[in-house]
Amino acid sequence: MDSWKTEATKYTPEIYFDARTNILGIKGESYPENITEFSSPLFSWLENHLENLKEQTFTVNIELVYFNSSSSKMLLDLFDLLEEEVHDNDKNIIVNWIYDEENDAAQEYGEEFQEDLNYLPFNLVKKAE
Amino acid sequence: MSNNLYSFKEEYDKQGILLSFYGSFSQELLVEIGDTLKNRMKIEALNSAKMTRVFAMFIEQVQNIIHYSAEKISNEDLNSGSLSNGIVVVGYKNDYYYVVCGNKIKKKDIEKLTDKLTVLHNMDKAELKSFYKEQRKKEPVTKGAGLGFIELARKSAKPIDFDFQSIDEQFSFFSLKTYI
Repeated sequence: MDSWKTEATKYTPEIYFDARTNILGIKGESYPENITEFSSPLFSWLENHLENLKEQTFTVNIELVYFNSSSSKMLLDLFDLLEEEVHDNDKNIIVNWIYDEENDAAQEYGEEFQEDLNYLPFNLVKKAE
Repeated sequence: MSNNLYSFKEEYDKQGILLSFYGSFSQELLVEIGDTLKNRMKIEALNSAKMTRVFAMFIEQVQNIIHYSAEKISNEDLNSGSLSNGIVVVGYKNDYYYVVCGNKIKKKDIEKLTDKLTVLHNMDKAELKSFYKEQRKKEPVTKGAGLGFIELARKSAKPIDFDFQSIDEQFSFFSLKTYI
């Protein structure tokens, strides 16, 4: 599978996939007016990618400074999908939730996602200065 | 109107208003005003946690107007999407930042809205948190306002205030205030 990148806009995050390291990154701010319009290409790609995923570890790095409530729902759907793959299909998936020390909201959101996940490895990563 | 504009400004200053907008909202406008709001708070050296909260309230509340205002205009021939009318005000008074937004709604929606907001009004932070998680699981990905209100209630430093003013037989004006 090839690497790709979608540039950030003022209200949607940058999304990239590095085929060499098998890392998916989501970085920036997310408050589009219509979240499904934004997220459905990502989910279609993901489903395909997860299906073809063998032993190699798939890492998802999320670094969101701000996201609105519908983006929060989208993230939950994303984590549910990944958790299912880990639990049902024994896939190796890791999520890193990256936040800035000063952004206590981002940290709290990360903790809240983490609380509700049972099988998906979900790391809270404080960004290095 | 031009004669009265100064008294308008005086009243704005008295209310500690940092910015306000009345008229047609679009996603693009939301982004631009949001940027300016962020810059202003940066210049005033507001701490970043508080800044993120004010910004979050602003975005969530204006997107409510965009999605749910009963006063929408569009022209299918122009294919430019629809514009939603409403008001948003961001200010600082009595040690709190506040965000107030308002838009026209259909009278028949008042009861449902009142129920929703009253439930939130009476919940403490822990209850709001579990309610938020519960709803986030349940709700399909839509415009997400059910979640939006809970989010506002969770982030608000004081219980959110809301109000309905009757306009005519069909419509009322709905306003909502959050505190940071």
